[in-house]
Amino acid sequence: MRLRRIIEVGLPRFVAWCLLGFLFVPILVVIPVALTDRDYLSLPQDGISMEHFAALADWSKGWLPSMLTSAGIALACAAIATALGVAFAVGAWAAGGWWPSFMRILLLSPMIVPPIIYAVGMVKLWARLSLLDSYTGVVLVHVVLALPLTVLAIGASLSNLDQRLVQAARSLGARPMTVFGKVILPNIVPGVAAGALLAFVASWDEITVTLFITGRAVVTLPRRIWTSIQDAVDPALAAIATVLLVVTVVALVARALIERRQRQQKL
Amino acid sequence: MRNFKTTALLLTVPASLVAIGLYAAPILQVLALSLTEPKLGFANYQSLFANAAVGRVVMTTLKVSVMTTVLTVLASYIVAFAIIHMSAGWRRISLFLVLVPFWISVLVRAFSWITILRRRGVLNSALMEAGVISTPLDLVYNLLGVTIGMVHYMMPFAILLLYANLSDIDRRIMQAARSLGARPATIFWRVWLPLSLPGIALATLFVFVFSLGFLVTPALLGAGKTLMIAEYISVQISSTSRWDLATSLSTMLLLVVGIIVFAAMRSPALRAAFVARPQQ
Repeated sequence: MRLRRIIEVGLPRFVAWCLLGFLFVPILVVIPVALTDRDYLSLPQDGISMEHFAALADWSKGWLPSMLTSAGIALACAAIATALGVAFAVGAWAAGGWWPSFMRILLLSPMIVPPIIYAVGMVKLWARLSLLDSYTGVVLVHVVLALPLTVLAIGASLSNLDQRLVQAARSLGARPMTVFGKVILPNIVPGVAAGALLAFVASWDEITVTLFITGRAVVTLPRRIWTSIQDAVDPALAAIATVLLVVTVVALVARALIERRQRQQKL
Repeated sequence: MRNFKTTALLLTVPASLVAIGLYAAPILQVLALSLTEPKLGFANYQSLFANAAVGRVVMTTLKVSVMTTVLTVLASYIVAFAIIHMSAGWRRISLFLVLVPFWISVLVRAFSWITILRRRGVLNSALMEAGVISTPLDLVYNLLGVTIGMVHYMMPFAILLLYANLSDIDRRIMQAARSLGARPATIFWRVWLPLSLPGIALATLFVFVFSLGFLVTPALLGAGKTLMIAEYISVQISSTSRWDLATSLSTMLLLVVGIIVFAAMRSPALRAAFVARPQQ
């Protein structure tokens, strides 16, 4: 009876924790490699060294310019995608009908359609419009890839909004733009913020399409990392991976703390 | 009255123009080029089916995608099932362990696996120092390495999907089953599993579709030796400029993904799960 319980309950739980370890532990390997005292990818041999983190801050090594390029593109992408996404989600929510539903499917399709197909199409289009390897070209592509996320985030916020608020405002004589700007928008701020953040992250991480539409002029951080992984020698790669890992962990912990505080305030 | 609706529709115009001009049009052009480059007709598709290299790439893609899907869904179900049975504190820790890889860049994850699995990597060094093996094992730049990397990439998605689905199941049904004398194993096979089938189907669909067209992890962990469709297409456009091959293969991939998604959406349970997802 006891053995049966171990097999039925204990074993699956043990396997689950092993799998959680499989997800999390391998990522941590970048930390010791970033601290290596050698100038090739390896674990520290005779002590640890911070020189590879210092290399990240060295302008001539190319990591810093790439980070700034990516940050600038991601900010522009977040601003444009959020503006387009808010306008679309709010308009579709208020208008209804076949056109917004159809456009919604088209706007969300980049989440399902393999990005390599989109890359093939954009290489052709940008070559014709001379936008290959240009900031404008990269930002526009990132906007298209970020729009599904902003539309979903803002749509989720709107689905909690009471349609009668709009009816009340209109019956009191508010003009359409007043209804959108002063009644709907203030009520969906969390969704808009979430959408903007998701758009920023999507652009910051985008590699598949960027790889084909950029060359020497626009080197985003993921592109720089991609090239560096193929060379597989420079420990600065592990240092940048460590930085990204730390930022992710800090952001997740901060989010958990904020959520806990909000829960406590509600109680 | 009409004024309000017109304004609302006008608001949808900018995003729609972007979606049509910068998404639908370039993809439609890929489809068109596959039929016209270099001359009008289905010649590209005839040579595609006769091409032995393409056949090998398609077989590798199917093999890796099926293995990845089966392993990912099975492992993710075990994890999601364990998480919903944990106390609130352990659940938070487990979800944290899922969310960190979920948000970390796919490049960082591929790089971690290369560091661990390559011939002079962490795992081989450790095994050799422990005396388990005398020559390093080939763990990466082959089918094994690609599959490990893909499963690792897909698992957080699948766990979060299955976790959302399993959390929605009414626990009183299990209480009822237990009070009627069902054993834990019976409750699992006859109650939990049937009720979580929509979630399993959705996770299977997503993982399989993502795997079919995945470029980054197969390209980095396969390094040209385990060649999948997306990387093969990328070689055609960036080094050999074979637009006929790239566009016709892209069209086939789009067609297959479209058919899979369309077929899946015909099932009411899947449609419900898919529509309910954005509000989680």
